Amino acid sequence: MILTPKILVRLVALLILAVLLQVTFFSRVALFHVSPDVLPAVVASLGLLGGSMSGAVAGFSAGILLDCLLIAPLGGSSLVLMATGYLAGTFRERFEITSRFLPPLLIAGFTLFAQLGYGAVEVMIGVDSTVSAQIVKDMLVKSVYAFFLGWPIYLGVKRLLRPAIVEEPERRQRRRPTVLGA
Amino acid sequence: MYRKQVRRRRAVLALLVIGGFVLLTVTYGRGSTSLQEGVSAVFSPLETAADRALKPARDLVNWFDKTFDARGENSQLKAELEATRAQAVGGEAAIAENRELRKLLELDEGGTIPGGYTPVTGRVVVRAPTEWTADVVIDVGSGDGVAVEDPVVNGDGLVGKVTAVAGGSAKVTLITDSSSAVSARVVPGNSQGVIKPSLGEPGSLTLDFIKSSKLIGRNRIVVTAGWSSGDISSGFPPNLPIGEVTEASVVEQEAQQQVHVRPFADLRNLNFLQVLTGGWRE
Repeated sequence: MILTPKILVRLVALLILAVLLQVTFFSRVALFHVSPDVLPAVVASLGLLGGSMSGAVAGFSAGILLDCLLIAPLGGSSLVLMATGYLAGTFRERFEITSRFLPPLLIAGFTLFAQLGYGAVEVMIGVDSTVSAQIVKDMLVKSVYAFFLGWPIYLGVKRLLRPAIVEEPERRQRRRPTVLGA
Repeated sequence: MYRKQVRRRRAVLALLVIGGFVLLTVTYGRGSTSLQEGVSAVFSPLETAADRALKPARDLVNWFDKTFDARGENSQLKAELEATRAQAVGGEAAIAENRELRKLLELDEGGTIPGGYTPVTGRVVVRAPTEWTADVVIDVGSGDGVAVEDPVVNGDGLVGKVTAVAGGSAKVTLITDSSSAVSARVVPGNSQGVIKPSLGEPGSLTLDFIKSSKLIGRNRIVVTAGWSSGDISSGFPPNLPIGEVTEASVVEQEAQQQVHVRPFADLRNLNFLQVLTGGWRE
């Protein structure tokens, strides 16, 4: 990703908007008693489009802001979202995204990874939580939501950062030359 | 050139990982840091504006959720209504008895909130995105007299307690959080125990340490016990409603009852909360 001041401002605005929307809207709505989590989707999209470093730095920054707004111990969400962004970016650097369904599928997978990561951090800092069928169901439903929200989020991030994306595999159909008088 | 780039990337990644762990170690258990207070002060107006602007959209999505729920609950509620009608007659007599007893004990008849507490009303502006913790952030903080450990209620009953506080905001850890434990008693009957979240069932509670000899019936009310012993006392005042008993079963091996409690407060849809400031600190 080519970072110009303009792109940097867009990135910062995107992350602030995503965190604000997460804590004031997505975390406070529920379908089938489960709230969507769009932050892993946004961070994974940034990783898939910008590479591992962009994903990791964006994830770390989003995590710090999230922890500040939640008045939670700093660093927990950062580690999880940084790992999510880094893994998404690594995937982008090693494989080519050929199918339209691949980004939402990957985003769903990375959201599941982030949910497991949140759990691991909670266990690491000594919170007594039990993995139950209910928690597993919630994590899977969150991943399903991420699949459906992943496509518009991926396209939105792609549109926002289009000038900065280096390798954008695009298949353009060549127009046949028009032969006059043929 | 390529090797240099790889080294730089590895260094950045290592810095981020180490930074994350250092921050976690330094800030864990400290409540709020100056960075969080600064960010909270800057973003507080934005959060409030976003909270108000997005309320109609939130209500719409939650309406779908409640509609799905309502279909399943409809038949169950009809049966419960029949039973409640039958109980209502007996309830009138119980209310009259209760009034007399309250007069005898010279308790404040109208007030659920005991004297000495000053309620501070705040609006929920932020909710944690993960199911692993049950926290919300409200838009009142130390500037409004809110302090860590203050109990928090809404119109239906006990919601939780303040676990971190900044100048204009405070984190409320809900009673369904895995770290929560509230001393409680069942009325009528006065059986005392500790209300904890039911492990593996987000949103429901379990009343522990109830002897199997004192059988607890369904629909009994659970309130805060609000004990005190010398200079030490519970952070929660007595008689704040918590929830109602939905099921009680005897665990043979432990000679205790497993009492499941449904909280009165709808902890997924919290808007306005009241922090009971003062009380236990004075």
